[in-house]
Amino acid sequence: MFKLDRKLVTIGMTLALSSTLAMAAASAAAPGVYKSKPGAIDGGVTYPREKGNYTAYKYNEQSTKGVRFGRTPTANEIKAWDIDALPDGTGLPEGEGSVELGDELYEAQCAICHGEFGGGGQGYPQLAGGNQSKDKNGVVITLKNQRVYGNTDAPKRTVGTYWPVATTLFTYIRDAMPYAHPKSLSNDETYAITAYILAQNGLEVDGEDMDDDEFVLNKEKLMKVVLPNRNGFYPNIDGPNAQEDIRAFFADRAKNIGAGVRCMKNCKDPGGKDGKTPPTVMKIKYEMSDVVPPYAYAKDLPPKKEGGISHPGKADYEKACAVCHKTDAMGAPAVGDKHAWEATLKKGIDNVYANSINGTGGMPPRGGSTLSDDKIKAIVDYMVEASK
Amino acid sequence: MNKTLNEEESNSVSRREFFKRTASVSAVAATGILAPSTVLADDKNIMHHTEWGTTLGDEINKNPYGVPSAYEHNVVRRTSALMSSAGDMHAAISMTPLHALSGIITPNGLHFTRCHNGVAHIDPNKYRLMIHGLVEKPIVLTLEQLKRYPSESRILVLECPSNSAAEWKGPQFGTLQMVKGMMACAEWTGVRLKTILDELGLKPEAKWMLAEGSDGSEMSRTLPIEKVLDDVMIVYAQNGEALRDEQGYPVRLMAPGWEANLCVKWLKRLEFGDKPWYAKEETSKYTALTASGKAIQHFYANEVNSVITSPCPEVPWTDLEKGDLVEIEGLAWSGHGTIEGVDISFDGGKNWVEANLKGLVLPKAWTRFSYMYKYEGKPLLLQSRSYDDSKNVQPTVNQEKAVVGVEGVYHRNAIITWAVSDMGEVSNVQIRS
Repeated sequence: MFKLDRKLVTIGMTLALSSTLAMAAASAAAPGVYKSKPGAIDGGVTYPREKGNYTAYKYNEQSTKGVRFGRTPTANEIKAWDIDALPDGTGLPEGEGSVELGDELYEAQCAICHGEFGGGGQGYPQLAGGNQSKDKNGVVITLKNQRVYGNTDAPKRTVGTYWPVATTLFTYIRDAMPYAHPKSLSNDETYAITAYILAQNGLEVDGEDMDDDEFVLNKEKLMKVVLPNRNGFYPNIDGPNAQEDIRAFFADRAKNIGAGVRCMKNCKDPGGKDGKTPPTVMKIKYEMSDVVPPYAYAKDLPPKKEGGISHPGKADYEKACAVCHKTDAMGAPAVGDKHAWEATLKKGIDNVYANSINGTGGMPPRGGSTLSDDKIKAIVDYMVEASK
Repeated sequence: MNKTLNEEESNSVSRREFFKRTASVSAVAATGILAPSTVLADDKNIMHHTEWGTTLGDEINKNPYGVPSAYEHNVVRRTSALMSSAGDMHAAISMTPLHALSGIITPNGLHFTRCHNGVAHIDPNKYRLMIHGLVEKPIVLTLEQLKRYPSESRILVLECPSNSAAEWKGPQFGTLQMVKGMMACAEWTGVRLKTILDELGLKPEAKWMLAEGSDGSEMSRTLPIEKVLDDVMIVYAQNGEALRDEQGYPVRLMAPGWEANLCVKWLKRLEFGDKPWYAKEETSKYTALTASGKAIQHFYANEVNSVITSPCPEVPWTDLEKGDLVEIEGLAWSGHGTIEGVDISFDGGKNWVEANLKGLVLPKAWTRFSYMYKYEGKPLLLQSRSYDDSKNVQPTVNQEKAVVGVEGVYHRNAIITWAVSDMGEVSNVQIRS
């Protein structure tokens, strides 16, 4: 239908510019199938709502003025939930924490995933490290790394090399960390861990080096921290012109994002850095095939499930312990690994119970949970049972 | 009676095998006419009574909530250690089996799922939604109160901005499901946010909205006010039923066409402000690093995109014979607007023909395309290229790479190439320099 319209436009324009047919076809075709309006902030179009229609959808035109359900929240309710913080420090709570305390908390609750000193590990985000040096235009040089099948170093996206603002680090940790027990840290503890991570990135605030056990972070200091890559982002999202800057950026998608052209015959694809290297067919070199569940396409009956009652410790294990013990990636004995558990059990089951309750090595007490002694023991029993 | 169906089926032969066996005694292979009954053993599936035709079926209320046929047990979401942290499946993503879908609606149990702290289970009786900040009258709603507002339904594609992220440096996955399955399309029902805001009185200085989830990750994102007032919805239903837990039950944000990460699940709070928040997922993740060393911080609409779903690695042409007329089918979509057309290339992008759109053609939704093709048994480099009513044309790998490089992770929409072998097998390749 639309294609027909466009053909009509072409034919009409060529043969008889002044004909009413051409005018009608052009006005029908110009805004697209659903009378789209260009210039949306995302680079796309918007569609009008008129005469009970929104694109192909009908809608009820009757006024919704006066429809109001729900109630006004109390001041305390808003206070309880409105705890976000802005880059300028608005919303940050009172409190303070030292790098020394942060070190202790980090080692106990964060290092198991994020690695010693924030150095990363086993797929969880790296928080510190990476080269922060900039080129003459102020761009972090290593962020320009472009990997070719692992031949070059990846651009490191740590707090020190990549993150835009430091206030996000505080809210992230307080609201979403530690991963298995989010919202368990106090404001003081969160300031301490934030201080420790900033310190590991070698940052300073107001000329004061944070990489010092004595350094104490609080609201006033955190809002003054300027991260090295603060200007490493675009389009501009700050200030009164932000949304117009964003609109302009997405309007020029060929320049800023990459766009195709609708060539139909003997098309040439721009190739290589010189724009001349002819494209070739690249096949899969190392196929990622560790897929869960494994690939299978048969239309057959599923294998019979094993029956039985699940172990009393299994559910708590899944919730509180599986994050670290499901595989040996974090150095913890993996459930199902017979040898690892034989080694763990050498000093007897009571020793394993005690370690799981009091913590051992990289493992925090009770795996960071608040489960009772009995529940922890049931989890240990399940893990031992499942690893025989 | 104890004979299983598989034994029964082993007696039947595929059409290709049939032609191989009969080619020397018959000319049917050359003419492409379906098998005459005289040259093939009678099919036991026709000649015998079936088990299901000779026994009483299940009682109709055996499954008060219905489940797919047991024979479809392999049609499931799949994931990979690469899409998680060290194999931990709480912060991970599972992919929709696109090869097994028909039409433009994804069944709820197959809708791709991305979580940052596991699938939360919210008690709907304890659910509260707060809308506050730069509004004259802040509000708190229960689920029942939210559902009292007039509803709207939209068929919308939801796509993770990481869809195809493993393919920036070259092809890595061997299936359609793993290459492009971080998306799905469903009918979503809820309240247009503007309907609520009209009554709350948005203050003129409100320029941004923070949307915050209530799960362990407290996922939060910042949206510009223009989008909020255009078509953003607060949804509670998916394909006619309540949202699934993994889609944010009981309520999620829906920003039509925009990256799924912005469509915050387990939605708890909307705050209006005059500055952007620099939320958790607007830092090291969900920002697109380009070759310049700078990163696109706010990246909204999913780009114009398409993929051929038949054939694909999971649905090859190995059963076809030369001369067979077969449908090439696929999906096209654009977060910027409505798909206007799709072109198909058989030679890796040198020459193109126009495909046909079919079925519903809706903004920001999957759109099916179709092309009838005469199979010749020759190797092909099969591609699709979509374009939309926002003047977007899907780029080649080189066209996209030339502008943003290969480290951006997000918003990859380069043309996908299926290499079809002379035997009809299909593999994932890329045409690139």
